[in-house]
Amino acid sequence: MNAFTAMAWNGFREARRNKVTVVVGAFASVVLLSSTLVTDVTVNTFDRVLTDFGLGTMSLILAFLTIFLSSGLLSREIERRTIFLMVSKPVSRTQFLVARLAGNMLTLAVLVAAMTLIFLSQLLMFGAAITSTQLVAAAGLWFELLVLSSAGILFSSFSGPAVSAICTTGLYFAGHLAGDMYEIAKYSENPLVQTLGRVLYYVLPNLERMNFRPRATYALTVDAGTFLSAAAYGVAWAAIFTAIAVFIFERRDFR
Amino acid sequence: MQPVSPDAPPIQAQGLSKTYKVGFWLNRTVRALQGLDLQVGAGQIYGLLGPNGAGKSTTIKILMNLVRPSGGTARLYGQPVDHAATRRLVGFLPENPSPYDYLTGREFVTLAGHLSGLSGHDLDRRVTEVLGAVEMAGAEKLQIRRYSKGMVQRVALAQALVGRPKLLILDEPTSGLDPLGRRQMRDLILAERDKGTTVLFCSHIIPDVEALCDRLAVLVGGRRVREGSVQELVSAQVPTVEMVVENLKLDQVQQLGVPLESAQALDGRVLLQVSDTNSQRLLGGVLGAGGRVNRVQPARFSLEQLFMDALKESGRATSVGGEINT
Ligand SMILES: Nc1ncnc2c1ncn2[C@@H]1O[C@H](COP(=O)(O)OP(=O)(O)OP(=O)(O)O)[C@@H](O)[C@H]1O
Ligand SMILES: [Mg+2]
Repeated sequence: MNAFTAMAWNGFREARRNKVTVVVGAFASVVLLSSTLVTDVTVNTFDRVLTDFGLGTMSLILAFLTIFLSSGLLSREIERRTIFLMVSKPVSRTQFLVARLAGNMLTLAVLVAAMTLIFLSQLLMFGAAITSTQLVAAAGLWFELLVLSSAGILFSSFSGPAVSAICTTGLYFAGHLAGDMYEIAKYSENPLVQTLGRVLYYVLPNLERMNFRPRATYALTVDAGTFLSAAAYGVAWAAIFTAIAVFIFERRDFR
Repeated sequence: MQPVSPDAPPIQAQGLSKTYKVGFWLNRTVRALQGLDLQVGAGQIYGLLGPNGAGKSTTIKILMNLVRPSGGTARLYGQPVDHAATRRLVGFLPENPSPYDYLTGREFVTLAGHLSGLSGHDLDRRVTEVLGAVEMAGAEKLQIRRYSKGMVQRVALAQALVGRPKLLILDEPTSGLDPLGRRQMRDLILAERDKGTTVLFCSHIIPDVEALCDRLAVLVGGRRVREGSVQELVSAQVPTVEMVVENLKLDQVQQLGVPLESAQALDGRVLLQVSDTNSQRLLGGVLGAGGRVNRVQPARFSLEQLFMDALKESGRATSVGGEINT
């Protein structure tokens, strides 16, 4: 195992031994399963409700878990000085940062996969239809979490865990509303508001672009091109955030 | 990667300075280091001495690329300190080390080994070896959060050694260790020297420094106030002698006309300190006046004397910490 893999793998191991991750993972599974108890099976929109609720639960719980985990990835290491023993080894700070992100994304991939499995088995159990769009929505969620994680890492490269978590939460909501704000601003009479809406739209990642949950709920299809461009969009934003984080992180003092 | 030049000195620093900005507006400054020069040659054991806040840890953090100097340059084996690959040759033990506490001792040292470029059986064997050397083989399967302070210190030393470094940088290596552990740490450092490893360490325990170092520097308030080989520094020192005298009063001793460093009357006895050069005259005088010399001994470790003199000469109101400007 080389240094990068060892660090990334250790991040995954950390998450497995972290009570918060385990508890949240278990909690999400329980919530997913409980939907079957409260939903009236006779409703003819049953498939829709199940998909909507299942994917919605996954995305909300995992988004907040991601905010919690990623906003501490660097800052907690600096606060606890665990970072001294890592960056004093023959690895660059950039490698360390990217390995932390990779470890986090591995953890989130496992969680998304596990919850998707629970969700699908639930669909099977009730004979509801399994569509490719449901899988696309789960994959899209992972790319959304990638953008969130890299934003969390960016904030935690220069501020403490609490401030990073607040900023990342803000970005999460703004990122989902940016598209709406753009639309609303377009109809404004005020050119200033119009410009502001457009600026916000371009400086913030539009997280709705990776959100295929509504399409899954209404059993619409997503063509490969649309999904790939959304994935590329997510990767591009993650790359931008990571590059800025690296720039800051390479230059700062660890005291 | 640039080649690491084999004859470049392990550590070379010129004019290092570090000013920390503190306060909400970053408008107050602490001058932790001011123009420090440091050169450590291959195979040397080099000690950094100095009171609390003298800048020892700051120096070490600059060498390990943890903080950036505000001025000056620092090189390890001829490479700038931000050159990651050079650290392949370096083992580092920070002050109050904090390894990941969710890992066991063995897992942590193995991770450190991977980061140092080891893998496979070689890594396994090396981890067993270093954990044995710090006597942590018995507790290696326990999570680090269950360790005592000294056990953490030992595992942190093991992770510094795992990559077979040619240069060891140790910030207060014996802190938190029991007496046996301190002894073992000294033996370990000497064993590393025999293998040709260069060692830079700082410590407050003067006997350790005296027993281990070839050279040393004394820092006070971020400046180097003494530097040299231990031999040179100690022999340049005028040692003092402590004497306990009976049957004579304090003023009778003072009337002998021998310059005294200090004199103190205890019930029926007089406690004297005198420089080594005057000690024979004082002995003769006391005996001639009918006094009885109860005890004669070197007053302090001569290195401790050197340390105290260096503090006094620095002319600062307090020896602790760097200059604070508001
Ligand atoms: N993070 C920091 N922020 C502000 N000032 C700092 C910081 N770290 C150290 N200093 C200041 O730098 C000076 C030197 O500190 P340093 O830790 O290098 O001392 P030291 O010689 O290692 O002391 P000790 O023997 O107590 O470990 C001190 O005056 C201290 O106040
Ligand atoms: Mg210190």
